[in-house]
Amino acid sequence: MNFNDLMKNEYILLDGAMGTMLQKSGLKLGEIPETLNIESPDTVIDIHRQYLEAGASIIAANTFGANGYKLKNCPYSVDEIIKAGIKNAKEAVGDRALVALDIGPVGQLLEPAGSLSFDKAYDYFKEEILAGNEADVIYFETFTDLLEVKAGVLAAKENSDKPVIVSMTFEKNGRTFAGASVRSAALTLSGLGVDALGVNCSLGPEELEPIVREFTAWTQLPIFVKPNAGLPDPNSNEYDVSPEQFADCMDRLADLGTVKLIGGCCGTTPEYIKKLGEKIKNKTKSNGDHIKASKKKFAVCSGTTAVELSEPRIIGERINPTGKKLFKEALKNNDIDYILSQAISQVEAGADILDVNVGLPEIDETEMLVRVVKALQSVVDVPLQLDSTKPETLEAALRIYNGKPIVNSVNGEAKSLASILPLVKKYGAAVVGLTLDENGIPKTAEGRFEIAERIVNAAKAHGIDPEDVYIDCLTLTVSAEQSGCRETLKALHRVKTELGCKTCLGVSNISFGLPNRPLVNHIFLTMALEEGLDLPIINPNDEDMTGAVRAYKVLADIDKNSTEFIAHYNDVKTEKPVIRSSRITLADAVRNGLKGEAAAITEKELEKTDAMELVNNELIPALDKVGEDFEKGKIFLPQLIQSANVAQQCFEVIKKNLAKTDAQPVSKGKIILATVKGDIHDIGKNIVKVLLDNYGYTVVDLGRDVAPELVVKTALEMDIRAIGLSALMTTTLKSMEETIALVKSTKGLEDCVFLVGGAVLTPEYAAKIGADYYCRDAKESVDAAKKIFG
Amino acid sequence: MIKLEKINRAETLRYLGNSSASVDGRMTALLDKCEGELLGALNIKYLYKILPAKDCPIIVGESARAHLEGCDRLCAVCLTLGAEVDKLIRQASVRDMAEAVALDAMASSAVESALCELDEVIAAESRGSFLTWRFSPGYGDYPLELQRELLTMLDAQRKIGLCADDSSVLTPSKSVTAIMGLSGTPLEKRRQGCAVCNMKEKCKFRKAGTRCEF
Repeated sequence: MNFNDLMKNEYILLDGAMGTMLQKSGLKLGEIPETLNIESPDTVIDIHRQYLEAGASIIAANTFGANGYKLKNCPYSVDEIIKAGIKNAKEAVGDRALVALDIGPVGQLLEPAGSLSFDKAYDYFKEEILAGNEADVIYFETFTDLLEVKAGVLAAKENSDKPVIVSMTFEKNGRTFAGASVRSAALTLSGLGVDALGVNCSLGPEELEPIVREFTAWTQLPIFVKPNAGLPDPNSNEYDVSPEQFADCMDRLADLGTVKLIGGCCGTTPEYIKKLGEKIKNKTKSNGDHIKASKKKFAVCSGTTAVELSEPRIIGERINPTGKKLFKEALKNNDIDYILSQAISQVEAGADILDVNVGLPEIDETEMLVRVVKALQSVVDVPLQLDSTKPETLEAALRIYNGKPIVNSVNGEAKSLASILPLVKKYGAAVVGLTLDENGIPKTAEGRFEIAERIVNAAKAHGIDPEDVYIDCLTLTVSAEQSGCRETLKALHRVKTELGCKTCLGVSNISFGLPNRPLVNHIFLTMALEEGLDLPIINPNDEDMTGAVRAYKVLADIDKNSTEFIAHYNDVKTEKPVIRSSRITLADAVRNGLKGEAAAITEKELEKTDAMELVNNELIPALDKVGEDFEKGKIFLPQLIQSANVAQQCFEVIKKNLAKTDAQPVSKGKIILATVKGDIHDIGKNIVKVLLDNYGYTVVDLGRDVAPELVVKTALEMDIRAIGLSALMTTTLKSMEETIALVKSTKGLEDCVFLVGGAVLTPEYAAKIGADYYCRDAKESVDAAKKIFG
Repeated sequence: MIKLEKINRAETLRYLGNSSASVDGRMTALLDKCEGELLGALNIKYLYKILPAKDCPIIVGESARAHLEGCDRLCAVCLTLGAEVDKLIRQASVRDMAEAVALDAMASSAVESALCELDEVIAAESRGSFLTWRFSPGYGDYPLELQRELLTMLDAQRKIGLCADDSSVLTPSKSVTAIMGLSGTPLEKRRQGCAVCNMKEKCKFRKAGTRCEF
């Protein structure tokens, strides 16, 4: 028997709980269940046999927690435990059932929620997969983090050729503990090419029904369901559904969509499986409608949110350094927060998807794209479009992306098709296809259609659905070639109606060289939408453009009852901040946290005052006064930060003003900030950053969990001699000490100055580990900076 | 199931600075906004297990032994506000640090309130027993590394999505693990307070001549 033959059956019976059975056999508290594979193989074999006798066709070996992290203090190696586990299962079932290598979560949370890296997780899984090469199937179960299980699936696909089945654990609200939704799981895992997917644990069969239904709507793959025996009592751990109730309930679930593999999780025993087997013996899907898999949905997603391409969706174009001085500056200074704030403002303005391009000749694009994608996915929920010309950069980002992204882009050139499409297929992404090739952009609609057809056919040949290809018929400047606009729209229409794919289009090029560009852009956008544009790539912060899409959806009968339109415009405040009283000074604005006013006043002041003078004579003294109030306990911490934020608004105005005049940015000195290796509490460091920023220092923020080597590298590369380190835990103070030691022992960095802080740090300890300034709070870090830079 | 209806303002303000300042309209507006966001993000989950104290592998060190003196059982507990809260604070850190700081303080206060409710649940469950207060890894010489043992024993990753990382940092971060002693006979009243607190040498409340009321 092999997996493919087995899958031809209408239903496949899986086994039930292993942990429950081991506890019944006397597993001791704190004992690692997998050690029994070696220490008491008969116990394990007996449980497998009971499930086999109950009728199970796939038996999961006792290897759920056998990974390098969980077995760290175990006398046996991962290899020994897994090999013994598979051997026991094989011995129990012979050739009467298949044996699955059972893989559970590593036991630590992945970044950004925890500190486990994607690559480290991959390595743990790889070790398990290599050890389990005698198994028939690889079975990932009980996962709550979609990115973690993606690491597992990639490890399986890259290190074995066995079938891979995956199940995740959902709460009643349809999400996992890590926030993954059913649709994101279905889209992502289907894209990665697993053989079956579904849900196990956490809930009983009754409660799982809505989740199973949601799965059936979002995947055409076989679905499996392994519920608990109801819900456990928190203390006694007894479950509340009987074997009979369980079987009845599962019988109903088995009718749904492509549900094929059924079994039990916590609390279930061979008796449950036996009853279930009797129930589904000779069963066929009772309702003809259910047998057909649901219509395939085309969508992209993040780990939490799916965006279905059933109507026009806005791709935000702002994360791109081209032509943006401040953005380039941010990339060079590693200022990820700047990029994140761009992302948040686009999403708030209405972007459904964000394009991410960080290509700049001076930086390592691959490393930067990976960093930015990770950071973006930790704060925004929208799916991302990974935008690079380099296949290796795209692949690095595709690996660590949580969800199903868009690759931007492939074109009609043979080389591009051959290098990009395999990546799109392997990582289960969607892809933008540009209608150009080695001969450039064809002038006519026919020429562009032909390339589009070539791209769609090549995608099909790689096993990519046409609906996952988004053809961009390319916008040319109308002032240079007036007939070009018609050709673009004509090509767009044909592509949409004849090729079965989706379409995207960057819009703003159209108006280059003309006056009143916004007007031309938004009329062009409306024309393109009417020709069938699915994905306009625009600046969502341009209210006319976003508004055009919203209005189009009303007029095209997509936004039913104008619900979204009304919801949006009913509570939009169109008024801009005004100076409420002309007598408000910059100092008042800073002290009272009046953001809008402060920016306006700054603009006014700059007309008559020099920028540096304004900074030194107005802004800084105002901030100092607030800092003093905080020290004296007259105001709370958020108020200090609000004032600093207002100062930041003023600085933004000043920076923009200086960028216009091409003067050097105001900087009173550069400081590296980092939360040390092993520590992921970065709120204190972030407060320090806001304050230092607003006192005019340039902060290079390396983030949290920062390796000492990265601090050294950055200090050398960016020629920075002031370093601020934070550590919150007693366990990570050691990393602080190591970082200082490594920096000070590096040639060229002996004179680095350190400011340190963190809840458990004391002045004595700071001095002992070689720090120059102990900062009790953020205010003191500013005092230290003043001393350092004079 | 524990559900909080509101966040303790007084405690939040204490976390936000040892301040005698009066709360003005700006501060109130900020706290109102954060409270709404935080209550929407809370997904409070907990686990507990009552065990015999004799030879229990999670009693390590003098402080824990002293804490459990006179107790024949102990209750191991863990509780988390869930991953959404961390995400909310991360998002706020990018958008507006003032909000992030306020949310962080409110979340810490929410953990405390949730734990107080959990105390009630456990007290009801173990009716007739007398309970000590919660004692967490990291107090006195009770090793921080024991977080992991406690979580494994409670099967916390699978059941409530709570883990510890290599530095024994709990993830999601707004979470707690602890043990409480149970006794059939009344326990001598032992105050939790500065004497057993690891922060006692550097505590800003003590420096200012007050207490944190913990």
